[in-house]
Amino acid sequence: MTIQENFEPDVLGFLCNWCSYASADQAGLSRMQYPPNVRIIRVMCSARVDPTIVLEAFVQGLDGVMVLGCHLGTCHYMTGNYYTERRMKTAKKVLKNVGLNPERLLVDWVSAAEGERFATLVREFTEKVRKLGPLGEETDLELQQLRTRLVAAKEALAQQRIRWLVGRERELAEDKNVFGEKVSQEEFDQLMLQTIEKEFARRRILLSMGEDVLSVKEIAQRVEASPREVLKNMVSLERAGLVSVVGIEGNSPKYRRVGG
Amino acid sequence: MEEEKNARIGVFVCHCGRNIAGVVNVGEVRAYAETLPHVVVAEEHLFVCSEDGQRVIKDAIKKHELNRVIVASCTPRTHEPVFKTAVEEAGLNPYLFEMVNIREQCSFVHEHAPERATEKAKDLIRMAVAKARFLEPLESMKERVADKALVIGGGVAGITAALNLARYGFQVHLVEKKPYLGGKIADLGRVFPTDDCATCIPCVEAYEPRRRCLYSLGFALPPNLTIHTSSEIEELTGYIGNFTVEIVKHPSYIDVERCISCGLCEDVCPIEVSDNFNLGKKKAVYLPFPQVYPHSYIIDVEACDRCGKCVGICPTKAIKLEDRAEEVELQVGTIIVATGYEEYDPSDIKEYGYGEYNNVITQLQLAKLLNHMGPTKGEVIRPSDGKRPKKLVMIQCVGSRDPERNPYCSKICCMIALKHALAIKERHPQVDIEIIHKDIRLAGRNYEDYYRKAEDAGIGITRGNVLKIDQDEKSQSLILNVRTFKGKEETLRADLIVLTAGLVPSKGTEELAHILGLSIGPDGFFKELHPKLAPVDTAIGGIYLSGCCQGPKDIPETVAQACAAASRAAIPMAKKEVTIEAMYSVVDEDKCTGCGLCELTCPFKAIRVEETEKGRKAKVIAASCKGCGACGAGCPQKAITMRHFTDDQLVAQVIALAEVTA
Repeated sequence: MTIQENFEPDVLGFLCNWCSYASADQAGLSRMQYPPNVRIIRVMCSARVDPTIVLEAFVQGLDGVMVLGCHLGTCHYMTGNYYTERRMKTAKKVLKNVGLNPERLLVDWVSAAEGERFATLVREFTEKVRKLGPLGEETDLELQQLRTRLVAAKEALAQQRIRWLVGRERELAEDKNVFGEKVSQEEFDQLMLQTIEKEFARRRILLSMGEDVLSVKEIAQRVEASPREVLKNMVSLERAGLVSVVGIEGNSPKYRRVGG
Repeated sequence: MEEEKNARIGVFVCHCGRNIAGVVNVGEVRAYAETLPHVVVAEEHLFVCSEDGQRVIKDAIKKHELNRVIVASCTPRTHEPVFKTAVEEAGLNPYLFEMVNIREQCSFVHEHAPERATEKAKDLIRMAVAKARFLEPLESMKERVADKALVIGGGVAGITAALNLARYGFQVHLVEKKPYLGGKIADLGRVFPTDDCATCIPCVEAYEPRRRCLYSLGFALPPNLTIHTSSEIEELTGYIGNFTVEIVKHPSYIDVERCISCGLCEDVCPIEVSDNFNLGKKKAVYLPFPQVYPHSYIIDVEACDRCGKCVGICPTKAIKLEDRAEEVELQVGTIIVATGYEEYDPSDIKEYGYGEYNNVITQLQLAKLLNHMGPTKGEVIRPSDGKRPKKLVMIQCVGSRDPERNPYCSKICCMIALKHALAIKERHPQVDIEIIHKDIRLAGRNYEDYYRKAEDAGIGITRGNVLKIDQDEKSQSLILNVRTFKGKEETLRADLIVLTAGLVPSKGTEELAHILGLSIGPDGFFKELHPKLAPVDTAIGGIYLSGCCQGPKDIPETVAQACAAASRAAIPMAKKEVTIEAMYSVVDEDKCTGCGLCELTCPFKAIRVEETEKGRKAKVIAASCKGCGACGAGCPQKAITMRHFTDDQLVAQVIALAEVTA
């Protein structure tokens, strides 16, 4: 992609009704000036922000997303922002897998009284995204390629295995699992990373197949992965009922996508 | 919810006088709005929130058969209810309304970029129009409210709130952790601003401020007020109007009804416990102070070795050492939290030697000494030798206004110090008193008089910082190292030092917050819903705050706040029903696998997995749901929809934003 001159980034902010949205109101009432790049969507709690919606914003081509909640420990809904923190951490990891700079997603906390802090966060984040350039500037992907990858990432975040891990992280890493064992944070992060990579790879495969009947080799070419990796994923996908073998050519099975 | 194909949207753009129109080109924004899909009318008005502006909306709803309304004006945090009501009055479901904030988010913050502010306003309206197509009519529910209330904490705040509610005619349960009522003031002698006996404060009749001592049975217990002493809250379930509270009543071992306070038990008790707070010793069975209410002796459970001597001697057979804890379940409609404060424990500040030097005490201990019912019958003495001090120094802001400990001002300590200093001077003018402070803050009505009186009485009021206190081993007198206001270091000698420790939340505040589902501020006190608009409400409907559990307060403020909390709690109970917000989450049972992650996520116990005909499925308790949406955004099956903030609605907003800008 080419660097645009006078690039004005499009930034979307998800703000919680009780703290960060109120801080934006505070900034307004105090006439604090900040760049007009940010557009705000109000939600009741930052925990309402499903990571897939954040990915949707990138799929749609926005350059940066801010998710702002109450300071940790002061959430209007007690624990909401702890979930936000973990979900967005996962979204950042997924963005990294896509090849994007995870700093395009800002997760931070502002209290209702911190109008100046809100204005500062918007100023700093707008500048950061401006420096990063238009979405995808940091990759050498074509726009369409980037979009497909982002869709795959969004779909990966909708998968129950990832959502389960995100939902249980606090319990697993801080308390104990059903066997009374404590899972270390490193161990958990490793597992999370593997799961993200797998789900992302599988979603890319499904997206790349379209309506075509393809061999592992052909799929591997489309997703730029080794046939070996792809085959492993095809077996899992078949087991999940998402692809089926429709024929065999030589030694190689041919797959087609099933359903949506 | 499917997209509404036949959406007829009206957009109303507000000038807000010059507040919006001074920066944003409202005419251009209005004209733009009219071009958006499904928008059948777009109008502008000087003040849409005015009577006239609301009429414009209502007329347009009828004239253009609108089924969605969007107002682009100021923040929904203050004005959404106004417009929702207007829309409802015109016969439209209030949830078919959406608000766009082009004042706080456009004109106010982009004053120097009017064109970009105008573009931004257009974007925000386009996003709202996109969301509006997915809005669905929602019906709020009515729930019955039990006309019973629970008050937690039996100090000034709790007693006042409970008496007020009882006088309204509601059934009230007052739960107190200690075996007796009174809270902190039970230990105090005189209190400001009237310098009278502390214990009569909580029983001042609402419209009849005659003096009645709490403990001389002036506390005429209304028949609809039940007191549960030695009791604590174990669990809370339910929601406004229908709370179920589990309380555990710890054994008191002495039957309050039977005890005649003859004191024989104390005489025969072989166990002596040292009582630091009272600067003396007590038996394992004791009367905390002569006017204790309920009037009964108390057994110190930890000290008592169950020898049974007291049981044998008790003439009324009031002592039952085999008593066990009881569980009591209460059904109440509203709850008032009045758990008060704790004096900050200064032993944490090593330089001051509290707990190490006998002659360093706190203001609460001094109050106990000054109390004519106290251990010294009102005499101020040095704990080390029982002699009256010649020189007494008070140190202000101990553990308060201290960035490392508690950054906030505890508000009442300056008055406490002056009150005590004056009380001592009154009786013993020869005692030399000095108050070392950071600032003296006396903002209450007539409080300044204390300052003037203190100056007239020759009390030294010096600004400075006490760096360290040392003890003279022989005389047990104290040597203070003070840095004065001017930066000079000076040495001062004192016979008795009183640390004016700040206020911190009561022990157990965090646990109680967890049980009740309340939020706590960074200072550790319970957080009110809004400091200005809802100072005694909490984020949980039906639970209110009163007194120092919400932050340091003096008695007049506490009484006022307790009356306020009682009247807030009385509203739903008098109305007998509450409207439950229609914004709650709903579960798609076909998608739900009953995994229970939502149950784990919800801090309000508003969603739980139940056995149904279709297997294990999550069920939402709508009245408990606060509408945060945390369950849905994490659901592995995406089976939960947060009404009014659905995925479809949010995604529509995102797409609408990107379709022009990105």
